[in-house]
Amino acid sequence: MDAFRHNLALFRQLLRREIRSRFIGSATGWIWLIVTPLLLLAVYGFVFGVIFQARAPADMAVPFIAWLAVALWPWLAFSEGVLKGSQAILQNSALISKVSLPRALLVISSVSSVFFLHLIGYLVILIAVQLLAADIAWHALPNLTLTLFSLYLLALGLGLMFAAVQVYLRDLEHFLPTFFMLWFFLTPILYAPEILPGDLGRYLAFNPMTWWMEEIRQGVLLGQWWPGTVQILLLVASLVVLWLGLRLFDRLSPHFEDFL
Amino acid sequence: MSRVLLRLERVGKDYPPTVQARGRVRAFWQVLLSGRSRGGKRVLEDINLEVRAGESMGIIGANGAGKSTLLKIITGVLQPSTGTMAQQGTRAALLELGAGFNPEYSGLDNLRMNAAFLGMSQRQVDQRLDDIISFADIGQAINEPVKHYSSGMVVRLGFAVIASVKPDLLITDEVLAVGDESFQKKCIRWIEQYLAEGGTLLMVSHSMYQVQKLCHQAMWLENGRAREMGDVFDVTQAYLAWHERLDAERSHVDQGNAGAYYGVDEIRIEQADDDDGPPLIPMGGRLVVTMRLRSPDGRRPVAAVGLVRADGTPVYGVTTDFDDYHPGQGPEGQYLARVVFDDLSLLPGGYAVRGHALDPEGLRLHDTAELDFTVTGRSRELGLVRLQHRWEPVEPDECEK
Repeated sequence: MDAFRHNLALFRQLLRREIRSRFIGSATGWIWLIVTPLLLLAVYGFVFGVIFQARAPADMAVPFIAWLAVALWPWLAFSEGVLKGSQAILQNSALISKVSLPRALLVISSVSSVFFLHLIGYLVILIAVQLLAADIAWHALPNLTLTLFSLYLLALGLGLMFAAVQVYLRDLEHFLPTFFMLWFFLTPILYAPEILPGDLGRYLAFNPMTWWMEEIRQGVLLGQWWPGTVQILLLVASLVVLWLGLRLFDRLSPHFEDFL
Repeated sequence: MSRVLLRLERVGKDYPPTVQARGRVRAFWQVLLSGRSRGGKRVLEDINLEVRAGESMGIIGANGAGKSTLLKIITGVLQPSTGTMAQQGTRAALLELGAGFNPEYSGLDNLRMNAAFLGMSQRQVDQRLDDIISFADIGQAINEPVKHYSSGMVVRLGFAVIASVKPDLLITDEVLAVGDESFQKKCIRWIEQYLAEGGTLLMVSHSMYQVQKLCHQAMWLENGRAREMGDVFDVTQAYLAWHERLDAERSHVDQGNAGAYYGVDEIRIEQADDDDGPPLIPMGGRLVVTMRLRSPDGRRPVAAVGLVRADGTPVYGVTTDFDDYHPGQGPEGQYLARVVFDDLSLLPGGYAVRGHALDPEGLRLHDTAELDFTVTGRSRELGLVRLQHRWEPVEPDECEK
């Protein structure tokens, strides 16, 4: 119990530091938290909505920008969370070689800080969408939270795995960003599955992220407020990944210091 | 007997090969499949150690003996390759220069972070914040990023946090050497009080004085093994004696390598009477110094003679090559030189003559021998030597110019 309290205090401290480190040195700090998502959304909306003339699937009947926005942020949180989490051990190598602490906390706090910041951005975006483009199903928010939570667990699991392996095999550092870019384009975030030629669209079902994005859009835009079977399955799947990640991390972490 | 805080049994450590990619990949699969990596460079072997509450132990040894590796294993940062380590309900704190500090953040941020590492809750930190800051005594710098700190300030901050936590086991790695005199005193006072109150200390230091002052026991590590363990005075003295022998051996080896070693085998002052005491030379008398020089390679060394006052103040020195004098050859590769000071103008007092042997080029000093002598006489003159002088009458009209 004591150890748990200690770890919780440590986690809070690490999380605070991670979040603050984003704003150290910038004069207006928190303003950017709100402005950046809006600017980013404007850029994506212009490039894909205006230049490429992308459209939301016909059966959703929402403006493209709203359709894009609600899925883009969860993806940003997920991919950035996994990437940052996988760096957490290497970046804190000075700390790890001096201080004895539960090393998983470094990864967890890193992933959590990314999710926390992007969640704030997501709220800003949802409000902007509500004001400018389409109705948000606010009553489905608890259900949306559940989907986002399972996405967070998945990011934790993958982050722990990659962080542990990366200490031994540095190649991962070069591979992961490219891999996540590919994953991004293989997920229907910028485009509707229907626009893919032939039956290519059917293969998207093999990409788990397709399911998450689908659920998130269903919740936010169509107001599905009760968790469905798919959501439960996604939660279970991400719990399994998290468990695997923790197992792998526990196995590899005692020897980190030898390889850092 | 007090309770055992820490027990190491047959602990060893190998650093796995990590430079080459293939070694890393193999080690990765080993760790993944069997939970340990094999092979590599052995840095610690067969360490047995038991630390009880209230004990204080110094860990000493030459550079690279494995001291820091041992501390890392004890603090849990490093996993031992063999053997077991058991800690019992211990809150151990390592104090090392800058350990756990992130240079980008302010001193205050780092202070909070370090306190969290040591298990303090946010509320506890808030309560003790003023104490910690005043102990560190670094003034307004607490709000500056740590990268602007001097190493002394970093240690001050680190020590201040640890002092407020009062860990069960305090581990210090060569930190007291960094702070200034007054902070060192403060730290040593704190550690003494901490030990008096039942604290336990493990300390790595190269200062035998500090080890003897703060520790009751010591462990001497040599090449990853415990060479000696026991009472602090026995171990530190054995360690120092070993170092002195090592130095002596080394200097001997140096000379052997240099090939030629020119020495002063004998220095002698000629005197009339056969007294055993230091030779007595009357002021204005004659000082005759004879030297026997050793030359292993048969080349003729340069000899130098210096006169110094008893307290070491140099008075005069000269070498054979200044004067274009060649020491004559004696038996068995020896060379003989004699210098004569007629009418010695040293004032009465205690002096010494120093004979030096230099290499034939007159560039390097190889050996020195010293012999005391006394200049006798009655004189009230001041200084070291009588300089040639005379007094002259002064005409009155010179003053009016």
